[in-house]
Amino acid sequence: MNDGALVALGLSAQVALCATLAILPPGIALGWLLARREVPGRALLETLTALPLVLPPTAVGYLLLRLLARDGPLGERALGFDLDLLFTWKGAVLASAVMALPLVVRTARLAFEEVDPRLESMARTLGLGPLRTFAEVTLPLARRGLAAAAVLGFTRALGEFGATVIVAGNIPGETQTLALAIFSDMQVGRDSEAMTLVAITVVLAFAALWTVELLLHRRRAR
Amino acid sequence: MTAGSAGRTPGLRLDLEVPCGSFDLAIAWETEQSALGLFGASGAGKSSVLEALAGIRRGARGRIEVAGRTWLDSGRGVALAPEARGVGYVPQEAALFPHRDVLGNLRFGERRARRAGQVHRRLQPEPVLELLELTPLAHRPVTALSGGERQRVALGRALCSAPALLLLDEPLAGLDLALRRRILPYLLRIREEFGIPTLHVSHDPSETTLLCREVCVLDAGRVVACGPPRAIFGAHRLLTGSAGNSVPEMVNVLEGRVATVAESLATIEIEPGLCIAVADEGHFVSGQRIAFEVRASDILLARGPATGLSAQNILPAMVREVHLPESGDLHAAAVVNALLGRQEQAIAVVVSRRACRELALAPGVPVHLVFKAQACRLLAAY
Repeated sequence: MNDGALVALGLSAQVALCATLAILPPGIALGWLLARREVPGRALLETLTALPLVLPPTAVGYLLLRLLARDGPLGERALGFDLDLLFTWKGAVLASAVMALPLVVRTARLAFEEVDPRLESMARTLGLGPLRTFAEVTLPLARRGLAAAAVLGFTRALGEFGATVIVAGNIPGETQTLALAIFSDMQVGRDSEAMTLVAITVVLAFAALWTVELLLHRRRAR
Repeated sequence: MTAGSAGRTPGLRLDLEVPCGSFDLAIAWETEQSALGLFGASGAGKSSVLEALAGIRRGARGRIEVAGRTWLDSGRGVALAPEARGVGYVPQEAALFPHRDVLGNLRFGERRARRAGQVHRRLQPEPVLELLELTPLAHRPVTALSGGERQRVALGRALCSAPALLLLDEPLAGLDLALRRRILPYLLRIREEFGIPTLHVSHDPSETTLLCREVCVLDAGRVVACGPPRAIFGAHRLLTGSAGNSVPEMVNVLEGRVATVAESLATIEIEPGLCIAVADEGHFVSGQRIAFEVRASDILLARGPATGLSAQNILPAMVREVHLPESGDLHAAAVVNALLGRQEQAIAVVVSRRACRELALAPGVPVHLVFKAQACRLLAAY
């Protein structure tokens, strides 16, 4: 494996991990909200969180770019300071986080829907408040599904291309993740390098999906 | 404090409305008793009342007052959260926590008792496991338990929480006769030893008579009767009234002490000098307290001397009341209430209308109650 591939792999892992950590709390919260609460505008919320799943990633990337541009709503002019996300690895984190969020929300929601609400009621009658009920009954019972949500979010972030290339660019050693490096290698005809990178992504994706399968299957069998 | 102390009368005051499916349940009930029953056929709305009391039923309106504390007063916008009520709820499906073992489930209940400073030595998980014969299962995952075991674990978890009010939803339903006979004494013991106010939901008259001092009968979401179970289940209108499919069988529940055991018969003294012969299947011990039931339709009435019969029980009694069914109801039998012994225990007997006429049964008439030792069905020995 060459140095370039290692750098790309390290950067990808860093970006995907940060993105996963960033979306896990809001993803779990949204999943719980959609599974357990009759919130007003629920259908709208559901649609909005699912949107990145169906939009072209480049469209999402472009929206983020305009949002963060110097004269955009979150740009230097509007905020009075520069968030410094565009064309940095943090921009790649943001782009892949936005793209991975729907998957995390949906999987987390399913995980919560599988928890019997009567067990939560039972915990309440035994003296646990809503927060402790969540921590001691809901979370432990949903843990496998939530772990699956995290792994799926991580893999989605790992493979992100379209939004990342627009928000973070394709700068080797700085923002060039595995997915971007494959594209670059292919364009200049470095086929064996591209193939190495493809092999790495296949192994990573396979391991992740296998883990998810084990997590969800064992939960069903229980 | 959230959990009440053991031995306190609950002073239950209910005026509730709960939407449940096809009808709106309405129940108004005030009582100072602490061993309470909620009786009715399935679908009468009993479980909904328990859920409303536990605070986990949405849409419950009205007032709930337990031992002087207001749990619900929708008129004033008061609705105590379930965690602030301190109930021990045992639902029909047990609702055990699958991520804890048997002991872990009991500890879950125990923590509330600890927080509330309500630590009773005998309500610790270990003695409760012992009481409910669950000690060998302490470290078993709850997913590996049988129905009866799950029920007992749910009961144990509720007990360990030192509840202000125990809510039992058909704790004996779905258990076989042998298991019922084993668990019923625990329920009696809980009533007698811990004195925890209990609301016991059941559709079994004997169970309710044995466990409860006062019963509220629900039918299709309405209260049709309220009072001591013996008076309620001896009442004629319950046999003929209400929806046809929900008529409970009329039974007499008797309690006493085993005096002698011989020749496959046990003699049960139900009051000094008054003994009843009960068929012994080999589990009676002299001196033991037992409860048994005799169906009202298994008892014969005799006027004059009843001799030359194989029946082991021929007991003098006095007719108190005769209930004849409405004249239009040709299929219904008559119910005779007779008084037995010096303590005047009310015994219900079902006879045909012709027999009623031919024997000229009327209040004050002396009769003999005749029934076989085999007609006495053991409910519990304790």
